[in-house]
Amino acid sequence: MVSGLVESAAIDSGRDASQSLVTRLRDLGFVPGARCEVVARMWLGGDPIAVRIGGSTFALRRAEAAAVRVEISASHARDAVAHAGSSAVPA
Amino acid sequence: MDATVTPLRIALVGVPNCGKTALFNRLTGSRQKVANYPGVTVERREGERATPDGRGMRVLDLPGTYSLNPTTLDEAITRDVLLGRLADTPAPQLVVCVVDSVHLPIGLRLALEVKRLGLPMVLALNRMDVARRRNVHIDAARLAAELGVPVVPTIAVKRGGADALVGVVEGGRWAAPGASATALQEHDAEDAERVQRELRGLLVASGYSPPRVSPWFGRIDALLLHPVAGLAILLAVLFVMFQAVFSWAEAPMNWIEAAMNSLGGFTAAHMPAGPLSSLLVNGVIGGAGSVLVFLPQIIILFFFILALEDSGYLPRAAYLLDRLMGSVGLSGRAFIPLLSSHACAIPGIMATRTIPNWRDRLTTIMIAPLMTCSARLPVYGLLIAALVPARAVGPFNLQGLVLFTLYAAGIVSALLVAFVMKQFTRHRQYSPLMLELPDFQWPNASNLLLGLWERVKIFLSRVGGIILALMVVLWFLSSYPQPPPGATGPAIQYSLAGRLGAALEYVFAPIGFNWQIAIALVPGLAAREVAVAALGTVYAMSAAGDDLSAALEPVIASSWSLATGASLLAWYVFAPQCLSTLAVVKRETNSWRYPLIMAGYLFALAYLASFIIFRVVRAWA
Repeated sequence: MVSGLVESAAIDSGRDASQSLVTRLRDLGFVPGARCEVVARMWLGGDPIAVRIGGSTFALRRAEAAAVRVEISASHARDAVAHAGSSAVPA
Repeated sequence: MDATVTPLRIALVGVPNCGKTALFNRLTGSRQKVANYPGVTVERREGERATPDGRGMRVLDLPGTYSLNPTTLDEAITRDVLLGRLADTPAPQLVVCVVDSVHLPIGLRLALEVKRLGLPMVLALNRMDVARRRNVHIDAARLAAELGVPVVPTIAVKRGGADALVGVVEGGRWAAPGASATALQEHDAEDAERVQRELRGLLVASGYSPPRVSPWFGRIDALLLHPVAGLAILLAVLFVMFQAVFSWAEAPMNWIEAAMNSLGGFTAAHMPAGPLSSLLVNGVIGGAGSVLVFLPQIIILFFFILALEDSGYLPRAAYLLDRLMGSVGLSGRAFIPLLSSHACAIPGIMATRTIPNWRDRLTTIMIAPLMTCSARLPVYGLLIAALVPARAVGPFNLQGLVLFTLYAAGIVSALLVAFVMKQFTRHRQYSPLMLELPDFQWPNASNLLLGLWERVKIFLSRVGGIILALMVVLWFLSSYPQPPPGATGPAIQYSLAGRLGAALEYVFAPIGFNWQIAIALVPGLAAREVAVAALGTVYAMSAAGDDLSAALEPVIASSWSLATGASLLAWYVFAPQCLSTLAVVKRETNSWRYPLIMAGYLFALAYLASFIIFRVVRAWA
């Protein structure tokens, strides 16, 4: 279930994201310029979601996904991606 | 051979799911030892391997970690071992960084962190065969040149797949990369940037490109992770598992029971009657037998669990259940331990080690005994057969419905207790899920067997030891003092256990237990299933096994009220009558406090439930 092909991702210390969470996300590969793709979403708008990044797939809860800002690639944009806790903001 | 030269200390480091443990198995075979790091419950896996020069090597399989900035206890252990901070564990002389070639970036990033520690290092590029199949080509020589450490391809799951690595290690062609071992600092943004730049450089140099995503795996995952279809598939898998556990285990369980009975009979026939014979037959053989009889169920259940784990499915189950379990304050990862607890809470509680957050883990441990373990089945079976009529209720069997209700009661009460515990945790810091969903792969047979053998050994040696000791003690309490000559009641009434039961009768009267039940509960404290044998003793039955159940049924049916039977069933849903479980909780939590709290709250719930059920059924019937 492809929700959107994302062009880039950046870490931003958002509202609820603690530094250790952000660091860990970075360690998992969520760095500026990385391609990521949401491959599955659970109920209630996606808690958790399954995200493919750097060749690996990770299950992220809403609160964790919210710490990641992505730029949705124009050719595959869908509303679903916005629900996954990311907002379309240039990296 | 210089006897004073100690074996080479090697540590395996890598991110989870990189095949590190498979490589460890390949290097050390069955010459492994599993213990605990001092003071914590993280498992310490160490193995040995002989070397041609006679020195030998000792290999330590460190817990998988994504970074040397830890988020969980076992990740902290890995960092501490590498820094030589653990008292009993000297820093390794050589670190083998195991990297999954298919997922090179994430493993290489960790390797860069390890390299900065300044320890001698070798990089093992694992799963090169899979990488090739998925169009990932890595120039190992170029990578070695850029990284400055030896890079060796390995295929951990193939025989001989670690030979190249062993060759490099034995050849001594490794050296400390840099004299300056930088102290480990917290990541700061600049530092992380530097690491990312270096990583990108290495990836370019090695010629790495992300793996081709197999369309099949994509489709399978779309199905397995689908909110509705995925859950349906999970339920189906669970159903098949439970069916298999119960039906496949039946025959071996009967063999073991028969073997124990004949061993007991043989012993009794060939020994002069007396305390020693009684001790051996009832205490030792009877005690060991009641433990061993559950082994087939445990083996089969763990076979499924290990196969599912190896295949990569279990994290997906945790993903599907995370929200549901989160609503009562549990992590999706609690699913496996709670599932295992349906065979026996002991391996279930030990399996909670995979739960990183301490509070989550503690909650899971505390509710694990509420899962209907196989030891309850003899008691449930006896009481249902004796007191519940074999009537049909619609398409269902009333007896089956009652059994199902008991199972459901266990699960529901566990979720309620978890919910209550959640209210009691003060400032609940957020514990992330961030769980990797690894690639699918066929479970590896030798890993599976090795893992199974390990579980079996743990169960037999540790649990068997405790239960055996307790059975002997309780045999003693139930046999002495002996009845005076001319005594009329069953012998057990005169023993210490009997006196205790008689005193307990006052405590149990409000919930409808008669003195026979009260006495039977005393030895039944060690292990739940013992209560059936104890009831047999109390009613002066001399049969054994199924015969005993069959003989007890009519006695119970005629002399117990429905309310009493229902009350005992309710008691059994909750009562912590398994001292070995409490012992394991003590070991896993490193404190007496939690087993005591567990025993306390479970007894309280058992009494409350029995009280309510007894009064309600008595008023209604």
